[in-house]
Amino acid sequence: MFWRMVKGALFRQKGKMLMIAFTIALGASLATAMLNVMLDVGDKVNQELKTYGANINVMPKGASLLDDLYGVAEGSGVSDQYLKESELGNIKTIFWAFNIVDFTPYLDTKVKLNSQDGEVKLIGTWFQHHLDLPTGESLDTGMKNMKSWWDVSGQWLTDQDEASAMVGSLIAGRNDLQVGDTIEIEVGGQTKKLTVKSIFNAGSDEDEQIYVPLQIAQELTGRAGQISRVEVSALTTPDNELSRRAAQNIKSLSIKEYEIWYCTAYVSSICYQIEEVITDSVAKPIRQVAESEGAILEKTQLLMLLITILSLVGSALGISNLVTASVMERSREIGLLKAVGAHNSPISWLVLTEILVTAVVGGVVGYFAGLGFAQLIGHSVFGSAIEIKPLVIPLVAVLVALVTLAGSIPSIRLLLSLRPAEVLHGR
Amino acid sequence: MKKQTMYFRMIISSLIRRRSRMLVALLAVAIGATVLSGLVTIYYNIPRQMRQEFRSYGANLIFVPTGGDSAINEDEMKKATELIPAEDIVGIAPYRYETIKINEQPFMAAGTDLEQVKKTSPYWFVSGTWPAGSGSVLIGQEVADLIGLLPGSSFTMTGTDSTGKGFGRDFTVSGIVQTGGTEEAFLFLSLSDLEGLMGNSGELDVVECSISAPQATLEGIVRQVGENVEGVTPRLVKRVADSEGTVLTKLQALVYLVTVVVLLLTMICVATTMMAVVAERRREIGLKKALGASNQSIVMEFLGEGLFLGALGGLLGVALGFAFAQTVSMNVFTRSISFQPLLIPATLAVSIAITGLACLIPVRSTTDVDPAIVLRGE
Repeated sequence: MFWRMVKGALFRQKGKMLMIAFTIALGASLATAMLNVMLDVGDKVNQELKTYGANINVMPKGASLLDDLYGVAEGSGVSDQYLKESELGNIKTIFWAFNIVDFTPYLDTKVKLNSQDGEVKLIGTWFQHHLDLPTGESLDTGMKNMKSWWDVSGQWLTDQDEASAMVGSLIAGRNDLQVGDTIEIEVGGQTKKLTVKSIFNAGSDEDEQIYVPLQIAQELTGRAGQISRVEVSALTTPDNELSRRAAQNIKSLSIKEYEIWYCTAYVSSICYQIEEVITDSVAKPIRQVAESEGAILEKTQLLMLLITILSLVGSALGISNLVTASVMERSREIGLLKAVGAHNSPISWLVLTEILVTAVVGGVVGYFAGLGFAQLIGHSVFGSAIEIKPLVIPLVAVLVALVTLAGSIPSIRLLLSLRPAEVLHGR
Repeated sequence: MKKQTMYFRMIISSLIRRRSRMLVALLAVAIGATVLSGLVTIYYNIPRQMRQEFRSYGANLIFVPTGGDSAINEDEMKKATELIPAEDIVGIAPYRYETIKINEQPFMAAGTDLEQVKKTSPYWFVSGTWPAGSGSVLIGQEVADLIGLLPGSSFTMTGTDSTGKGFGRDFTVSGIVQTGGTEEAFLFLSLSDLEGLMGNSGELDVVECSISAPQATLEGIVRQVGENVEGVTPRLVKRVADSEGTVLTKLQALVYLVTVVVLLLTMICVATTMMAVVAERRREIGLKKALGASNQSIVMEFLGEGLFLGALGGLLGVALGFAFAQTVSMNVFTRSISFQPLLIPATLAVSIAITGLACLIPVRSTTDVDPAIVLRGE
């Protein structure tokens, strides 16, 4: 009898119940979309921030950056330390291998250009290198991915180009070089002719440099299999108190703290793990990138969290409001039920069941619509799908249940307190 | 006159008599308006606020001397920086680089305005303190490792000044800076100290500017400075300027889409609630028609109520929405936001339009009905 009454009520008031179900579906889809986007926004923005380039610099232990000081201090403090090219693949085998987005090795040397006085920097690197890992995976990595802000006129080099080079815009301007010209470089008595395949504008010191494939630089300098530094771009978690302590002194951590730190993608723990797999290396976070990424990531996540809360509270209030409005409307029906002798609790159950059945239907429809919304946002903003988190399902379910109950209980109580004779009389 | 007074009296008494229902409706409208004004305020403030955050990546524009070995003097720097809108400037740090010696080992010393460096390079990690006043220096981690200096220890800086005479002066290390970049091999001291050592001034090698402005403005500044100031070549730091543009565009697009979706859904919620509230008054409409009211006057009455609710809810929403946006901004960016006066009429117009529309739909369908049928309860 109870179910027949519920069914009857649902079908008799088809239009009204559809409207409630529709609104609940909207609210649930909003909640689903916002929660999914919010939970994934960190990863997405992190990916976007990779356009700022590498956030970790790996160098040989004892190597000095003095060489970078506008070419001063040549000879003093500059040591002949190199990393092994063969160990590069190891970077993709560390605990946080999945967080390593790209990495590029460099071999720096100084050459004479077109037999002029003064030297320019020649850098051997990977442009787009295919690497087969011992784990059976393979990846393509190199500078082309990491220097997305370079303005290249002409074409990027490939690693197979034996006799071509990419020339920085400042060198090209000074020597009046065009794409297609031939340059002659001299290092340690050897000379080599290279074709200028492209000229790039990087807006930094790199504009004063010439880039060639790694093996060419290794041949010229006679340093087969050696590299002077590696730039790594990794997805990291913003620093907190623990990671700062670890960065200062790892030994100050307890075993448990050490494990937490090691198993979190802090930039310092990723650096530590890289040092473990590359012999005699020092991995340093590039603070300019690492620090700022953390700050922006935190702000974006907090912002999305607050917007999500606002929209959830907004739609929750909106739905409870509608439920209240539609329950109040049924004062006459409830009055009649009371007049024919129904007790308060069966009436409450009846109304509640009706609303909940409607809510479940609306919620399920809304969940799937929300997944659609989330993908729409993901594709139009980030150009990639938003990961669907199962965690969202219970959250949305609880939310819908709470909202409908919060909307219906006060109004049911109000209706039960009414006197049937007055209600039926229409006052 | 009489007719109008009666009209208002009907609307007001209808609102008061049905207090609980009207409160529900008012709440719905106010929520909608809050979401609208709150989200739109946030949307408009995001680029400005986020741009400030992006300044933690450091300088996005640098001035270098035109030509090979020349330098920028203070007049040129002043002229160039005057072309940048003052409110957009986060920090401007001039740098002068000179080679000095410590224990006969050569190092690079940078003379700069350290207060400004704090603003242009907020990512520097200094253990110890920033130098305050003359005679104290900040040294890079590399330098500290090489010559074994700690914060608090002092050393003698020697070298030759611009006229070729030798100098020597004692300095105290106030802090050690870590950046992960080339700065770790430098010493930083105040520009006046370095000028005092070298014996001449107005020889800046580079000026770093951190400017909180969109890329188009930056390019405008580059063009203006290039045309108007001789001896200074402005260059955009492409890595920072370009990437900021990309990420910011995405972020804004994200908030835009979210705002549109949320608004759409909230407005539908408001409309359905209003429809539910109005639809239950079918009997009232029937009674009025039976007493001889024209369709038009019934529609006008409901519209009046709707407009009143819309205006009141809209006003509430403007205030609550601004309060919300302010809370978000204080929590996320720890900065307050400016109030957009244009939002008041916009929010009011939208909430009035939505409530009006939501009232009209059920009223329209009811006015077509035969009063007798409605009154009999079918």
